Amino acid sequence: MDVVFLFTMVVGLLLIGVPIAVSLGLSSMIFLLMFSETSLASIAQSMYQAMAGHYTLLAIPFFILASSFMSTGGVAKRIVRFSIACVGHFPGGLAIAGVFACMIFAALSGSSPATVVAIGTIVIAAMRQVGYSKDFAAGVICNAGTLGILIPPSIVMVVYASATDVSVGRMFLAGVIPGLMAGGMLMLTIYLIAKIKNLPKGEWAGWSEIGASFREAFWGLMLIVIIMVGIYGIPGITKAIFTPTEAAAVASVYAFIVASFIYRDMGPLSAGEGNAPTPLINKPHALLTALWHKDTRHTLFDAGKLTIMLMFIIANALILKHVLTDEQIPQQIAEAMLSAGFGKIMFLVMVNVILLIGGQFMEPSGLIVIVAPLVFPIAIELGVDPIHLGIIMVVNMEIGMITPPVGLNLFVTSGVAGMPMMKVVRAALPFLAVLFVFLILVTYVPFISTWLPTTLMGPEIITN
Amino acid sequence: ASAACDAGEMVIKFSHVTNTDRHPKGIAATLFAERVNTEMNGKACVEVYPNSTLYNDDQVLEAMLQGDVQMAAPSLSKFETFTKQFRIFDLPFMFKNMDAVDAFQNSDTGQAMKESMVRRGLLGLDFWHNGLKQFSANKPLISPSDASGLKFRVQPSDVLVAQMEALGASPQPMAFSEVYGALQTGVVDGQENTWSNIYGQKFFEVQDGITETNHGLIDYMVVTSVDWWEGLDADVRDQLATIMHEVTAERNAAIGEVDSSNRQAVLDAGGVIRELTAEQRQAWVDAMLPVWSKFEADVGADNIAAAQAFNASN
Amino acid sequence: MSSHHDAPQSGIARFIDNFEETLIAVLLGLMTVITFVNVVLRYLFNSQLIWGLEVVLILFAWLVLLGISYGFKKTSHLGVDAVTNLLPDRPRRIVALLSAFACFAYAFLLMKGAYDYWAPFAALQPTEGRWFPLGFTEGVRDRAFYVTDQVPMLGIFRWLEDAINYGEAYDKLPRVIPYAMIPFAAALILLRVVQATIRIIRGTQDSLIVSHEAEEEVERVAHGEYEE
Ligand code: NA
Ligand code: NA
Repeated sequence: MDVVFLFTMVVGLLLIGVPIAVSLGLSSMIFLLMFSETSLASIAQSMYQAMAGHYTLLAIPFFILASSFMSTGGVAKRIVRFSIACVGHFPGGLAIAGVFACMIFAALSGSSPATVVAIGTIVIAAMRQVGYSKDFAAGVICNAGTLGILIPPSIVMVVYASATDVSVGRMFLAGVIPGLMAGGMLMLTIYLIAKIKNLPKGEWAGWSEIGASFREAFWGLMLIVIIMVGIYGIPGITKAIFTPTEAAAVASVYAFIVASFIYRDMGPLSAGEGNAPTPLINKPHALLTALWHKDTRHTLFDAGKLTIMLMFIIANALILKHVLTDEQIPQQIAEAMLSAGFGKIMFLVMVNVILLIGGQFMEPSGLIVIVAPLVFPIAIELGVDPIHLGIIMVVNMEIGMITPPVGLNLFVTSGVAGMPMMKVVRAALPFLAVLFVFLILVTYVPFISTWLPTTLMGPEIITN
Repeated sequence: ASAACDAGEMVIKFSHVTNTDRHPKGIAATLFAERVNTEMNGKACVEVYPNSTLYNDDQVLEAMLQGDVQMAAPSLSKFETFTKQFRIFDLPFMFKNMDAVDAFQNSDTGQAMKESMVRRGLLGLDFWHNGLKQFSANKPLISPSDASGLKFRVQPSDVLVAQMEALGASPQPMAFSEVYGALQTGVVDGQENTWSNIYGQKFFEVQDGITETNHGLIDYMVVTSVDWWEGLDADVRDQLATIMHEVTAERNAAIGEVDSSNRQAVLDAGGVIRELTAEQRQAWVDAMLPVWSKFEADVGADNIAAAQAFNASN
Repeated sequence: MSSHHDAPQSGIARFIDNFEETLIAVLLGLMTVITFVNVVLRYLFNSQLIWGLEVVLILFAWLVLLGISYGFKKTSHLGVDAVTNLLPDRPRRIVALLSAFACFAYAFLLMKGAYDYWAPFAALQPTEGRWFPLGFTEGVRDRAFYVTDQVPMLGIFRWLEDAINYGEAYDKLPRVIPYAMIPFAAALILLRVVQATIRIIRGTQDSLIVSHEAEEEVERVAHGEYEE
């Protein structure tokens, strides 16, 4: 079995500490040179075309950039204040507010670790102050942060859409209800634990605090509106304005403007932590200088660096995918699975198992690039809705992020909370159970994923 | 087509971008593979890679020149970078109907075009039909002025850009997979395509209607690498060419039927089709004809004359 | 701890860092601005830069290809260190050397593939040999005529018409230009991998992947280094 050799090589290289991208790429090259007629030049072509030939993936750098401007520009702290004002007075209030804030930030950002850091740094400290245990706080945020890829926009959904040619807009819509449900289930769990354990609750600060905190957070929250209206339009009022990819670029420009000229937590008008920022009227030339201000440059560079790391992995995963296709592996796997007489249910269980195992070692986007083309044709054959399959994959990736050994959310939470990773794993466990229940629910009730996109955009068309 | 090739057989990779069983190109490629795999069993084996799984139309010609794939059937506008003569197929109202297209492609001029890229390393084996293009938009298109000010998705081709500008419309390049969503949400207003693409991609669902303009052509050319082709044993090459010609003749003859069944399927699914009177159609011709002169030097006045001759006789 | 970027730097090293970092920022900034301008042109002015999409995609490829070598230089590529962290010092060093060798093999093969891919577009001959370059081939048809779909020809590249295109004019930018980034970036990756390997041999660097120490992790994410 040539394929076994290929995957053994990938895992072997990963385990000795070779970068993920190189493990995928080198294994593909060796496999290609040994077993096929295809030239090394095709590897270079795949590498270049991973970016230049994939219009959909172009959304990734733009969503990363928007998120970077949001984190640097002080949006997160305004969102946390608003969340506490809304739900802080329930039993377990601050923890529920933490989840709520993660959900809102998830609607601005395409990423999970970014959500944990943006919200976690503020909320975990606040929870400890009012008497929550560190473990409880870390467990909550570690889990809620994974909503970053389920609630749209989502980088993982962009990658799935690109790998399977389904519409990004449709995937984003499909994530709305599952995202709200998962968030709701986490909040409900906290509420029940709080009732039983008599956890602290905050003071009801009144409608005026909700109003005041909303006004503060308004410009950040507007980004959600801009993205959603821009992509889908408002029936009867405006048509859509841009494609999902363009939405990400517009979001970046908007986030830059909010951060530099409205919040002024960064850029030429910022006066540093704790000082009142300079009004634009006193420094009108900031409109120009903000473009090349060191904060702007730095944010662009950070987002660029992150794009590079992610795309390096995705590009090499695409090389591996190309080699698998070249050797007709997807057809062989499909034939094997179909002739084994797998039904829809067994197939979905298989997908879950493959992704849960793969998610322990691989970075989510790379994993999706490799697994989606393998299982997609079978899913279509068995009548599984491609959008439903996509949501299942995303939820699996969420779980992969909070399970060892490779789990970006775990690493990040252990840092934010200042506790060892294995302790975070234990702390996250009760809520991980919630996510598992949710995975089962999403897997066997397709309706949850498909209802909203089907209602608003009609049934999914399969043109392949 | 996914059947594994036997050891000792020469493997021929055929990469294309559509499905295998409903699109005219996909059907023809599948048929070609099936015939080679039975009739040349033990000698040659065709592996079809559909749905852009291996290469898209932009990458496949590079890969062919590199020797990584042996056959492909990109749309004719992809060859404009190799030789500008191919722009003749994108010029609006160049061909009256598919019979005229067929006659032109089978004429000496058409045959010469298949060999026009040999010095670049590509050899055309046969032309495969898809059909004539229709316009659709989110409002009724009756006269050319209806298209003015609208945003139309076009393939990235200078001729098609010029054609939309001649109508006062705004040409928008966009990946094919984005088009349905963009039409649905209104990011772009309209598009142009053949009946099989309009039905296959369900564009009619998200448009006010389709106007039967038959204003342009989407066809394909099966190409191979000159170096690979000439390196084959003569008998293998002849047999492949024969099978290819027979498949081409069979599928091209069926294109009228495929087109009208797709047109009917659009109607059956509730799509709106608007037919034009002779006068209304002439208005579109008048609006778009100036595009010809712009590209006459590229295409060759004699080639245009040859094409027009077939319009008269078909 | 596997990073070395706190080490004192020479002026030239700092200058090169600065140059690379600015380039990454500028490429991403340009991509954003061109895309944004095209949305504005389409929505408000019913118009568009027809070359916009293709140029943005080229810049995207350049950004990533160029950035990969920077990632090797700064040891910022992701990997799995759960297993290597369990090893005692000596075996861990051996494994690090093995992994450096794997990266070298990758960079070397990529370099050959990149040159072979690009050469015909520049009217040069690709190399002979499947795994290793064994001299240059002869008689491979050049692809210097091959132009981009929509990118306009720039005056500063007109000399290429005589140099590689037999004096024929280009009406679009030839592909040799965007593709030139592929061998250039591959060469840079090879250089950075060799440098990292030398640091590992000397013992000034532990591994080729970013380490997952909790404190550094926050620092990193706070600077937006992960986004998944
Ligand atoms: Na999100
Ligand atoms: Na994991």
